[in-house]
Amino acid sequence: MLSATFIQAWIEAGVEAPMLMAIRVTELVFAWSLTIQTLEYLRMGKYTANDAFWSWPLQRADIPNASVRALLDVLFQPRMHQGHLWLRLAAAVTLAVQGASLPLVVFLFVGNLLILIRWRGAFNGGSDFLTLVVLTGLLISQVVGAFGNVQLGWQAGFWYIAIQAITSYFMSGAVKLLRREWRNGSAMTIFLNGAIYGPLSATHPLRNKWLALLGSWGFIVWEILFPLSLLDPRLAAVFCAVAALFHFLVFWFFGLNRFFWAWLCAFPAIIWCSAQFSTRFV
Amino acid sequence: MTEVLFIAYFVLLIATLVIKTPIIKGPWLFLLRAFFPNWKFFHAVGYVPHLYARSAVASTLASGELQWSDWVLIYPRRVRRLSHLVHNPDTNIGLGQQNMVDHFWADLHDLPEGVDPRGLVSYKMMQRLSDQVLRARDVNFTHRQFELRMELDGRSENVDTQVMMTSPVETSTC
Repeated sequence: MLSATFIQAWIEAGVEAPMLMAIRVTELVFAWSLTIQTLEYLRMGKYTANDAFWSWPLQRADIPNASVRALLDVLFQPRMHQGHLWLRLAAAVTLAVQGASLPLVVFLFVGNLLILIRWRGAFNGGSDFLTLVVLTGLLISQVVGAFGNVQLGWQAGFWYIAIQAITSYFMSGAVKLLRREWRNGSAMTIFLNGAIYGPLSATHPLRNKWLALLGSWGFIVWEILFPLSLLDPRLAAVFCAVAALFHFLVFWFFGLNRFFWAWLCAFPAIIWCSAQFSTRFV
Repeated sequence: MTEVLFIAYFVLLIATLVIKTPIIKGPWLFLLRAFFPNWKFFHAVGYVPHLYARSAVASTLASGELQWSDWVLIYPRRVRRLSHLVHNPDTNIGLGQQNMVDHFWADLHDLPEGVDPRGLVSYKMMQRLSDQVLRARDVNFTHRQFELRMELDGRSENVDTQVMMTSPVETSTC
């Protein structure tokens, strides 16, 4: 009963104040995604210790500038790095409770850059890239908002996030279309066999040539058509729902849980931009 | 106007897929590559770098001969759980480890002829990774060697393997 009332209230808020709704959902999902990432980093201390594989004393040689290297030596001391991660966790909770503010987003943005450098530019590939995209969108919204036009700031931030996210699907589909192995379905089986939860069992349905072919083409076509989501917010919602299923499957087979949450953060921006685009131009 | 810009943007994206341009490289560009995502995931099927390592214990025989273990594939495999959707550090560190092997391959590929790869950060990380895995199998090992092999997989089996680099025999670092 309570949850039905709650859902109803959210739907009404979404209809009456779509931008506020999109802002709040983005903040909440992004805070959740950051929390998951940060709690995982906090469990990786033994891998980043000075005698471990991801040791900073080894990696520091990658930093070309001596003064930057000296600064990073201080920031990446194991205790300092752990302290930063706890602060990041607190910042994620603050984002969820109080919403975005310029100091909070600047802290998260700079901290995110430091974490990326600590992991030689990226820890988890695409999810790091999209996390940075959403953070950049939030930063745009706060910087423009600080100059007095809060609505324009969020508008610009949402469009930045939406264009990048839509591009990610479009590019991902287009490059597959150019590959013979994807067009004949064999790439999917090969990648699944090499995945961290692989290889596929001998009787797995995706070993079937025709099912793999169907799956490959299904994802290629859906990814390439993603820009059409801007034509109607209901269509955008359908594209995003399929995307959520797609990212869940990517997690299920490849273990990429961060991808699931990182891309979910972009869905409110995509749906909001679709509503704006379709109202004005379609 | 907006429609034109929108269409132009996607035409530009298609053009970037078709037209080959020189790749700009640099240490800062590498470290800050998250600002320039190419969004190409799982697209190319081909030779994939795999790290193999083997360990040896210094023999007490007068000859001092090393007794080598078999080559071990260092490749992450994990057991799937639904709870990993919200907390998956072990799998993610495994994926990061394999990314490092890919980086090592890329660093070797870009290394000018005649330059010693032992100076590479990624080489040193491979040493540590090999030691960590080999130590878990044999705490007493004294020497180690690793090898980067390029493996081409088909739908169900390995099609071809080529050795890209074999390290010299080294004493373990940890």
